[in-house]
Amino acid sequence: MIAVENIALRQGSFELTDIDLKLSAGEYGVLMGRSGCGKTTILEAICGLRKINAGRITLGERDVTSLPPAERGVGYVPQDRALFPTLSVREQLAFALILRKLPQDDIAARVDELAKLLGIIHLLDRDPEKLSGGEAQRVALGRALAHRPAVLCLDEPLAALDEELHEEMCRLLERVHRETGVTILHITHSPSEAKRLAGCHFRMNEGKVVREAI
Amino acid sequence: MSEAGQPATGPVRPLAGAFHVRSDKPFLIGLGILGGGYMLIIMAMVLADLVFLNYDDQPVLGPELVQHDRYEAENAKGALVTVQPGRTYFFRKGNNERGLRNGDGQLQRNGLFVADGNTITLLPREAKLPITGSLRPEARVVDIAVTNGTVTLTTDTRHGLIWGTFIRVYDADRDDWNGVHEIADTTTNQLSFQLSGQPATATELKLSLPNPLIQALRSKDIQFSIKLSLISCTLTTLLSLWVAVPIGYVMSRYEFRGKPLIDTLLDIPIVLPPLVIGLSLLILFRYVPDWLSDAVVYKWPAVVLAQFMVACAFAVRTMRVTFDQIPQRYEQVALTLGCNRQQAFWRVIMPQAKGGLLAAGTLAWARALGEFGPILVFAGATRQKTEVLPTSAFLELQAGRTEGMLAVSLIMIAAAAIVFIIARTLGMKRIFA
Repeated sequence: MIAVENIALRQGSFELTDIDLKLSAGEYGVLMGRSGCGKTTILEAICGLRKINAGRITLGERDVTSLPPAERGVGYVPQDRALFPTLSVREQLAFALILRKLPQDDIAARVDELAKLLGIIHLLDRDPEKLSGGEAQRVALGRALAHRPAVLCLDEPLAALDEELHEEMCRLLERVHRETGVTILHITHSPSEAKRLAGCHFRMNEGKVVREAI
Repeated sequence: MSEAGQPATGPVRPLAGAFHVRSDKPFLIGLGILGGGYMLIIMAMVLADLVFLNYDDQPVLGPELVQHDRYEAENAKGALVTVQPGRTYFFRKGNNERGLRNGDGQLQRNGLFVADGNTITLLPREAKLPITGSLRPEARVVDIAVTNGTVTLTTDTRHGLIWGTFIRVYDADRDDWNGVHEIADTTTNQLSFQLSGQPATATELKLSLPNPLIQALRSKDIQFSIKLSLISCTLTTLLSLWVAVPIGYVMSRYEFRGKPLIDTLLDIPIVLPPLVIGLSLLILFRYVPDWLSDAVVYKWPAVVLAQFMVACAFAVRTMRVTFDQIPQRYEQVALTLGCNRQQAFWRVIMPQAKGGLLAAGTLAWARALGEFGPILVFAGATRQKTEVLPTSAFLELQAGRTEGMLAVSLIMIAAAAIVFIIARTLGMKRIFA
């Protein structure tokens, strides 16, 4: 689950206060709103990448407000995907597992499992710069899921994909959600995307997050 | 809203007839001229150094025979110089000579010739101007003596060589005499050098002066300065990178109070005149404990420190730009995947910064190689102690040996070129890997 309670944060002259957002375990939530209204900022706060001045963040029954990002158990897929340019696809998927000092065999098994789930087995030995947009998105998703986080934060994962890929990725996200049972918070502009995927809609309006009926 | 009388909708009409843009040609030609001109100068500069140096051996020459005078009425047809028939002479044209007459022939270029008669005539371009040509006999070896491995050669004229110069012996009737030797001692018309072992006496040999590059590479002083330059530059580069990486990273990633001040501080070594940096270091070391200042000032550590002060500033700039160009997003993702800041730095950021690291290293190395002023002030210019290549070049110039300075410059060009090629190759590997 994700519970954001009354958080306040400030970035230069931009300020958000009293932000509330609640998602039950295993739910698929979509956060919508105009560009520049602070959606990404909230996502970063949940991941621990941005300092909050007040409030509390709970992820999967744990209060993570003062924990560093590494210990929060989140998977983060930024809008630009940010695949590490110097690592192969296999190394990206194994990244979080190597940090957790898992045995080689377990890492290999988990990487295979992820590659199968995401349909990227044939890409494992490629460099990220040689991936297409859709492929890069899958790898970024795999990298974020590798350490079995309780929460997955997706920042406009389907932006800049053509229509065919868009549909394919939607199906993949549904499948990932179904098979892993991870709680997903997904940022988007597109109401159709929200309708298609989400069990739960949030809209940012004038600095507040409002839950909307579907 | 539309203007009165015009329909709100309708076909789009051009504003005023056909619209043309000006040709791109002047712009492109301008770019070509400015950029091409600069690159041409760079290439010509290096090429001139390479071409100017005379790579051939030079003859050992005796005293000047031309009396410096004017081409007045009595010698308007040419100035006579007395020579020995059959002897080899070296002629160098002055500003006002078009050549010389030797017997029936004319010589119009600088170079060696064999005299035909008792006189030669310098031919002026114009009368009533100074005689500035030069004519010098080639020194011939007339006596060879060996004692305890020391060879003493006597020449038939003054040879003008000094000890420490390298001389080539060739066409000797004993093979082990041929080669380049360092002159150990000289008198007006004698010179001596060491031969290893107990060589048998040669009865015939010829002498020439090797080119300045060989002179420089054979010289113990310059060998030392090459060694000191290479070692100190490498040390400086390693030190600079060691300091520049953390500073560049902090300046690129963190915001804190006083950051603009620190930013300015980091630029001081770049904007200060280099000489002032040397002087400031020298004065600073008056305030440190004696053991430290004794170990550094006027010793080789001073060379490294003087190079470091300037080179490091450039490395910091380069590293900062490098880190600025790597989006923070990578670290953020690495943090959510389980890294602490240090792990994110080493696993995700540094591998991406390799190219910048290489560039910073190369820049620091090149700056350090060229550093002269601060070293002169802070480390001195003691031969075989604190002499680096720029110091050698300066000392050669001071001794009036332009060719020697050029030779040292060529050594520096070669060293810089090698380092750049290595860096580029490594950089390429990164790109094509």
